Amino acid sequence: MMSSTRWRVPFPVPRSLLPLLTVLVPALLSAQDPLSRAFDLERRGSFAQAAEIYRGVLQKEPGEVTALLGLERSLTPINRLPELLPVVRAAIVANPSAAPVYSIGLRAYAAANLLDSLPHLVDLWARAAPGDESPFREWAASALQRRDRPMARRAYQMGRERLGKPDALAAELAQLATAEEDWPAAAHEWVGAVRQLQGYRSSATTALAMAPAAARPVILASLAMEGGPDAARIGVDLRARWGDPVGAFETLLGILPKPLPQQLDVLQAFLELTRLQSSPTYLLAQARTLEALADRWTNPPQRARFRLDAARAYATAGQPDPARRVLGQIAADPASGPAVAAGATTTLIELLVGDGKADEAAGQLEKYRSTVAVDDYLRLRRAVALRWAQSGAVARAEQMLQSDSTIEALAVRGRIRLYAGDLKGASDCWREAGPFAGTREEATDRSIWLALLQPIQPDTLVSFGLALQLLDRGDTLKAAQSFERIAAGLPPTGGGADLHLLAGRLQAAAGQVAEAERLFRTAVVKEMPGTAAAALLELGRLQLATERRAEATRTLEEMILDYPTSALVPQARRLLDQSRNAVPRI
Amino acid sequence: MTLGASGAGVLRGAWPAWLGLVDRTASPWLLLPMDDGQSDHLKAYGVTFRVLQRGGRAEWFLNHRGGSFLVPGDQATIRDAALAGVSSEPVSEGLLIDLRAQLKQGNTDAVPLEKPPKVAVYAPPNASPWDDAVTMVLNYAGIEFDKVWDAEVGSQGLKKYDWLHLHHEDFTGQYSKFFLNYSGAPWLAEMVKQNQRVAKALGYPNVPAEKKAVANEIRAFVERGGFLFAMCTATETLDLALAATGVDIAAAYADGTPIDPEAARKLDWSHALAFRDAQLELSPNVPAFSDIDGHQVNSLDRRQPLGAFKLFNFSATIDPVPTMLVQNHRDVIPDFYGLTTSFNKRTLKSSVTILADEPGAPWAKYIHGELGQGTWTFYGGHDPEDPQHQIGDPPTDLSLHPHSPGYRLILNNVLFPAAKKRELKT
Repeated sequence: MMSSTRWRVPFPVPRSLLPLLTVLVPALLSAQDPLSRAFDLERRGSFAQAAEIYRGVLQKEPGEVTALLGLERSLTPINRLPELLPVVRAAIVANPSAAPVYSIGLRAYAAANLLDSLPHLVDLWARAAPGDESPFREWAASALQRRDRPMARRAYQMGRERLGKPDALAAELAQLATAEEDWPAAAHEWVGAVRQLQGYRSSATTALAMAPAAARPVILASLAMEGGPDAARIGVDLRARWGDPVGAFETLLGILPKPLPQQLDVLQAFLELTRLQSSPTYLLAQARTLEALADRWTNPPQRARFRLDAARAYATAGQPDPARRVLGQIAADPASGPAVAAGATTTLIELLVGDGKADEAAGQLEKYRSTVAVDDYLRLRRAVALRWAQSGAVARAEQMLQSDSTIEALAVRGRIRLYAGDLKGASDCWREAGPFAGTREEATDRSIWLALLQPIQPDTLVSFGLALQLLDRGDTLKAAQSFERIAAGLPPTGGGADLHLLAGRLQAAAGQVAEAERLFRTAVVKEMPGTAAAALLELGRLQLATERRAEATRTLEEMILDYPTSALVPQARRLLDQSRNAVPRI
Repeated sequence: MTLGASGAGVLRGAWPAWLGLVDRTASPWLLLPMDDGQSDHLKAYGVTFRVLQRGGRAEWFLNHRGGSFLVPGDQATIRDAALAGVSSEPVSEGLLIDLRAQLKQGNTDAVPLEKPPKVAVYAPPNASPWDDAVTMVLNYAGIEFDKVWDAEVGSQGLKKYDWLHLHHEDFTGQYSKFFLNYSGAPWLAEMVKQNQRVAKALGYPNVPAEKKAVANEIRAFVERGGFLFAMCTATETLDLALAATGVDIAAAYADGTPIDPEAARKLDWSHALAFRDAQLELSPNVPAFSDIDGHQVNSLDRRQPLGAFKLFNFSATIDPVPTMLVQNHRDVIPDFYGLTTSFNKRTLKSSVTILADEPGAPWAKYIHGELGQGTWTFYGGHDPEDPQHQIGDPPTDLSLHPHSPGYRLILNNVLFPAAKKRELKT
């Protein structure tokens, strides 16, 4: 780099001068200082020539560190590093206070496999630089390069003794212990490292978090024995990562630092950990952390925003009571801005719908209509309507959607028709709504129901609607029994087989293995090959899940052989492979 | 007609639905194509193997549609192929005559397969089924095998087997030099304990001595007429152990004494199966055994990148054995690492047949040779569908790789011992 800028001509060169330059430039290059010339040669890959120039410089000035480093760089790629040894010895004599000389020496002696000489060299370096950890760190690094962990540990421990500091080189020893899966030692050293430098906390948590499940209690116990806020913080972070974010949060509240800004920093860092997963436990921990932040935050709009996020997290975690409590705090806070108020209203109405309080939700929605965005308003109206229909108030639900001409409303209307037992009306609405109304999951759900309705002859089956209402209200067992009763009244090819399959799936989901098996077998009707194949696959899956491999094998073989063109055959083959341990069961 | 083709599955009279897939009256034979028309290449070997197990006869059509198999068109075979998802095509007697005429032209041949080989896999009793490519593919294809280890090998237990597979065993007795990177790991401690226990029980002073004895038993198995197939580090260390009779090539942590500094000079390569004049790695701190392996995966400064290897083409009539071993629907296959990934050509004996190599590289991937009445095949690398295989990686699910050309090479080795002896000309 240096030479290329040095020889760039800073002005346009007349063409007539070019021949002259071709003669002059090499001459100028040869006049360049030797270190630059050697560096140029290195860049071109002429390592042997570069090494000769560096060696020449060092003959004149044995302690010249730049030349020594250059010589090391040049000899390494041509596998001639041991040639560095006499040069290093001369450099140490000439420049005994230069740390890089010792560092290069360590690498050269290690490369030459003269390991016995390393302690003496480290000793010389340590005397030249008292209080410096580098000699021991470099010694250990050269040992680790040879994968000699015992020697590396010896180097670190010797450094610790010589420096007289019990926490010296703690991060290095911690990494060594982590690599060796010596978890108590790793926990001890990481705490030491964090005490020295808070920046190590993230490395400590990341390294210890990799421990297998069996080692986790050992690590937490080791951290508890260490004591102090640093060990406690590492323990909290680890518990949050290992699936106990709520317990970790409770511990964290007890060890928060006194100054408020630091409290906020700690809580915000913990909040990020709770966002690693979206399970109810993590959402609950997230909600509680957000609440804790809101309680400590002095800026009113941000405080209200934290509370709104906390309420939403509580609601998503299935905790409506604390969600309502926090929403109440937002309402009572005069400093909450209009956006937060609208968000709070939306969350509150969602909570009410989730609780089945559709009337109250409808009242709130109309009361705060002016504060809620139009899209949210329409979405909430559809949610309220659906809830009414689920509880049997079909006419009221349909009336609520009268003014909504969106395709989402059409899709909801189809569901409401189905609750009323109007199978044809439901199918018509869903076909009209098409595949893009609502979320992808909702569209898939509609397709499944449409396929189920297709073979059923009657246009209206009130009992079907009532069974679906039960199902959507969460009463799976009763819904399964109702669908089975309907199936019994229908011809197998006219929806009977499909409804038996549905009832079987519901029973299986509810853990009723025997009932599910009976229903799956009933659904195997030769004249309905698609349904029969699906029922046999479900039966085989259930048998495999209950460790009845021989039965599962027979069922799946029957499915593959009797329905070879079914689209489900690849799934059956895979299960069959799993049942005979031919592929891993993941 | 191929299984799973549209229109298949139509019920025909009283036949079960799956028999309706082929025209029973006109198809005494089935062809299992092994080109891109095959829906599960690996399981096709299993279907053929089970035909032989049932006492049936099969034929291997070398270089015809990727090395296809002709099997009887009986109910059991049709059922088996349908369950396995293996594509099959009905072959009438007339069509078979045409096929045979085709096979007489070009570089093709038909090899009769008669007796299913009795298969043994050399593995410690507690080995995970997912840790060995051969065990995995045998399980997937549904080919029966027994597991044997040092006690069985030592008591001449190999005599009842036709085919023996070795995988990543270290026959130098140095625990694959895992001490360097995994010291303290519980699985390594268990491996050491188990090996020491067995060595002691068999009356050997240490593990390296016991493994050398096992290596010599394996050599004798081949000499007597056995078929040996080895992968990964078993290839390199088997030959090192054979060449090191009376020479200490094990580090002090394995046998209590350091490696003989003159070991490389003292090795007797005439005992080895495949290699000669290799340079032994004398340092216990370098995770490599010798310069036999071209890739040196665990040596940071020597490690070579992965490329792709190319299968050689042999004459089906003059060299049926190498031809069987390279049957595939792909002739260029992505390479994959193992503790021993490849074999430096410089270290190969002149009698060795190279079956696959990386064009332009100094190493071979897949080699074959003979010893006494038997043959051996070495295949470098650990898992053809997990190129960077690391300890602790999740197991390979072969149902996601039913067409794996790398795994096909393993199964070629399992089936070729079934070929009628007179056909083995090389």
